[in-house]
Amino acid sequence: MPLLEIDHVTRRFGGLVAVDDVSGAIAEGELVGLIGPNGAGKTTLFNVICGFTPPSSGEVRFAGELITGLKPWRICRRGIGRTFQNLRIFPNMTVFDNVSVGAVGRLGIGPVETLLRTRAARDRARDVSARTWQALERTELAPYAHLLAADLPYGRRKYLEIARALATSPRLLVLDEPAAGLNDTETAELARFIRTLHAEGLTILLVEHDMSLVMGICQRVMVLASGRKIADAPPAVVQQDPIVLEAYLGTEEPA
Amino acid sequence: MRGALAPLAVAAALFAILPMGLSMAGSGYLFRLADVTLIFCILSLSMQLITGVAGLLTLGHAAFYGIGAYAAAILSTRLGFDAGLTIPAAGLVSALFGVLIALPTMRLVSIYFAVATLGLGEMIYVTLLNWVSFTRGPLGIGDIPPLRPFGFDLSSPLGSYFLLAALAALCLLVVHRIAHSYYGNALRALREDDQCADAMGLPVVRLKIEVFAIATFLAGIAGALWAHTTGYVNPADFRFAESILILAMVVVGGLGSIPGAIVGAALLILLPEALRAIGEVRILAVGLIMFLCILFLPKGLFGEVAALDLVRRQFGAAWRGGSAARPLGWR
Ligand SMILES: Nc1ncnc2c1ncn2[C@@H]1O[C@H](COP(=O)(O)OP(=O)(O)OP(=O)(O)O)[C@@H](O)[C@H]1O
Ligand SMILES: [Mg+2]
Repeated sequence: MPLLEIDHVTRRFGGLVAVDDVSGAIAEGELVGLIGPNGAGKTTLFNVICGFTPPSSGEVRFAGELITGLKPWRICRRGIGRTFQNLRIFPNMTVFDNVSVGAVGRLGIGPVETLLRTRAARDRARDVSARTWQALERTELAPYAHLLAADLPYGRRKYLEIARALATSPRLLVLDEPAAGLNDTETAELARFIRTLHAEGLTILLVEHDMSLVMGICQRVMVLASGRKIADAPPAVVQQDPIVLEAYLGTEEPA
Repeated sequence: MRGALAPLAVAAALFAILPMGLSMAGSGYLFRLADVTLIFCILSLSMQLITGVAGLLTLGHAAFYGIGAYAAAILSTRLGFDAGLTIPAAGLVSALFGVLIALPTMRLVSIYFAVATLGLGEMIYVTLLNWVSFTRGPLGIGDIPPLRPFGFDLSSPLGSYFLLAALAALCLLVVHRIAHSYYGNALRALREDDQCADAMGLPVVRLKIEVFAIATFLAGIAGALWAHTTGYVNPADFRFAESILILAMVVVGGLGSIPGAIVGAALLILLPEALRAIGEVRILAVGLIMFLCILFLPKGLFGEVAALDLVRRQFGAAWRGGSAARPLGWR
């Protein structure tokens, strides 16, 4: 049974069909790329998976269970962690506090136990702190822990978003254009990092506009163009696929 | 070290230095001023939780203060409850209204929530004013017994002061524990970006309702203390202008900061009092102080976020996500 199953998902915005009858699956332990030219519907599909936008039709299953219609926070607790295309860190909180939100999101927390400082609350606080430090160490952000997120260099903020998603202990990590705005060296570093996460056993769906990153590290690539899935194959095959080349050349050169 | 010193310093000031000074001055007026300051500390601390920590702009906080005051007034004058019961009861009644109001409005995008609290706050005021058979309308309710919780007579100025100081300290503890915890971090995440917090596994609407319930409970307690120490309640004490006064305390002190809420409350009670001559235009003075503060001290005295930034983001959220995704104003 695949970990994530996308089953005939369509999403319309008025007359525009942003995602058009897309199906696909991701198995446990895979590192899959989702590429496509600007406006292809990648982010929309992503938002359907994470519960941000309901699909017009079709459904998404995670670990065999239907997740369409669930609120984003419930989907997160089922085990899908995400980042955003345009960075959405919490600027007026420290790096540590940013990441702790992910851990709190996964473990849950209540006001009464917080007020009374019950044993359960203290145990949970220890758990939150441990998970937060673990995520910070995996992303090498530990030295910045007490810095305000707004003061973090741009490149590091990407890692902060990933750390926050990791703190939710996801089974599937979905990254939306993590390389956007990074230079070549930084992109290469990010590619290494994503590969390490994958090697540690995480299932990853990497949404990218930039072909080179995806082709370099993914085992399989899905290609979207104008909302339709036009290819789903290993990178070497996709790169030779005339339909894919046509879609990219027909709109614009990939960056 | 600092963690142990701060509470000690607060306790020493609140329970030793201040009451000693006030007793030596021996002035009823100064005691009254101290009481009012403590009541407004509770109000500004509770609003700090909603607005400064969780980032929800509320413009109707005085209504919950009023509900607490009327609950205490009615329970004590008509049913003969003593302050030991009316104070917690006032908190509960206020929190009940808080939850009833939060349930439908917390799904609103933030700026609409602000407008809704403004409208509902005025509705509560109008109800207090016009439901004459229950609230005696503009006459107000008088002869509210002074503080005699469980038979202990604390009706002397010093006695009342000590009870108020103890309850204010308790509220401070509650707000501090909530704000400085992982739960508080979750609330701050709502302030920063509630959609993103949702994606991190936080039940956004539930958290907002919880924090509103806690804060309105505290505001209700402040209301009961006002009723018992003043002996008289009147709808005019719980109007929109009072909500703005409490908001100004939080903004001047700094959004998200607990010391800020306390210093803001003290400043905005004591400063206009020092300029007593201006009398009726107190609301103008409050507005001016808030305005100057936003201009020259964007984050207030000790704030985590700039007030203008918060408001701007609230307006932004109303249009974020596009009109096709959902009807305007609803998440
Ligand atoms: N909320 C919305 N309302 C209306 N149209 C939308 C909305 N969100 C996306 N669209 C449209 O849907 C189409 C797909 O957008 P989407 O953001 O999914 O593309 P993308 O593949 O992520 O592009 P990019 O590479 O620029 O991130 C676009 O034409 C976009 O204008
Ligand atoms: Mg996109």
